[in-house]
Amino acid sequence: MLVRRWERQIYGLTLRMLGRDEEAKDATQETFLSAYRNLSKFRGESKFSSWIYRIAINICNTKLRSRPKGLLSIEEQRDVNGFEIAADLDDLSDNIQQEQIAAHVKRALQGLPPEMRQVIVMKEYEGLKFVEIAEILGIPLSTVKTRMYTGLSELRKRLEHLREAV
Amino acid sequence: MEADKTPDCPMHEALMSYLYDEATPEEFGRVENHLAECAACKQELAAFGQVRGLLQQWQVDDLPFVRIATPGERDSRHSVLEAFRNLLSVTPAWGKAFGAVTLALLVLAVLGTEVNVGREGVSIKANLFRWNNAPQVAGRAAVGGDEARLEEIRAELKGVVNSMIADNERQQREEMRARLVSLESQIHTAREADLAKLAARIQEQRARLKSLERDIDRREGTALSDILFSEVAPDPSGRRAPERGGD
Repeated sequence: MLVRRWERQIYGLTLRMLGRDEEAKDATQETFLSAYRNLSKFRGESKFSSWIYRIAINICNTKLRSRPKGLLSIEEQRDVNGFEIAADLDDLSDNIQQEQIAAHVKRALQGLPPEMRQVIVMKEYEGLKFVEIAEILGIPLSTVKTRMYTGLSELRKRLEHLREAV
Repeated sequence: MEADKTPDCPMHEALMSYLYDEATPEEFGRVENHLAECAACKQELAAFGQVRGLLQQWQVDDLPFVRIATPGERDSRHSVLEAFRNLLSVTPAWGKAFGAVTLALLVLAVLGTEVNVGREGVSIKANLFRWNNAPQVAGRAAVGGDEARLEEIRAELKGVVNSMIADNERQQREEMRARLVSLESQIHTAREADLAKLAARIQEQRARLKSLERDIDRREGTALSDILFSEVAPDPSGRRAPERGGD
């Protein structure tokens, strides 16, 4: 079943793009519904994965654009106002340590502009090649690499304290 | 050296390909040579490696079950009707229209109805269970000996269907005849009853007329006797009135 095969990837993509669980679930569902409705338009000129990723990215972009400015979800508020990285990570259990790092990574990633974030998410978490990302986003290959480079540089700055702590 | 700092380096695209093992051999060699000379890029590359390691700390292992309510998905908890409703809800208007027309054509085809659109207009001819065209279509698919067998089955089927139609028509005719006889009988009875009522009414009217005539005769008789035998008032002139019954 196509949905079963792709739901993990699409959910992972939407969650990392949107950073909000409920919104990501909605976006995943909308992605599959949109794919179902437009299945006749899929000519097979591109890979199915590229096609469905493009739909998911478009839906995420729409949701991001429609968000009220400056309004944070409960999860985001917790991430922002919650715990700071522990001074000595050795004192924490591995699970808690990973959770904390994940929370910081999530926050850092959410702070990136969407066009950089989507490239990093597709590359790092979906394991797509630069050429595939360029095809999905409909942008030149060089632009994808530039966005990746800029995004990683930005994350490097944002996660500096974490790198030192780790 | 400071002049080789990465932001100013034209290498960042190749650096990305190198970092993610997507560099062509030519790119790979170029980046290797550059890294041997540019400490900043080398440092940056190492930092990017660390960032990548941190990014991998955000794993979404506990993916919640995402219910994808695709209309075509088979789900034992939902009825066929609900699945059909779901399908309709996502089907565009043209799809619904196409489906409706297809269904209508299918029904018409099964019923053997012919729809002709010509200069004279649209004519619809309903021939229930008319299979004359079916053998032509199916016949193309039949191969060799199967064709003969298929033909037999068709003929047999046609015979059965024709017989059913004939039986049905006969039954309908008989029912119609019985209904006509019954109707005629009802009309006759009603007519008899009406005539009888009419006759009785006429009789009654005649009797009433006779009664009226007698009554009139009696009254006229009374009036005449009044004229003949009533007392006459004395004439103020002193002359006597002529005597009744006199000359």
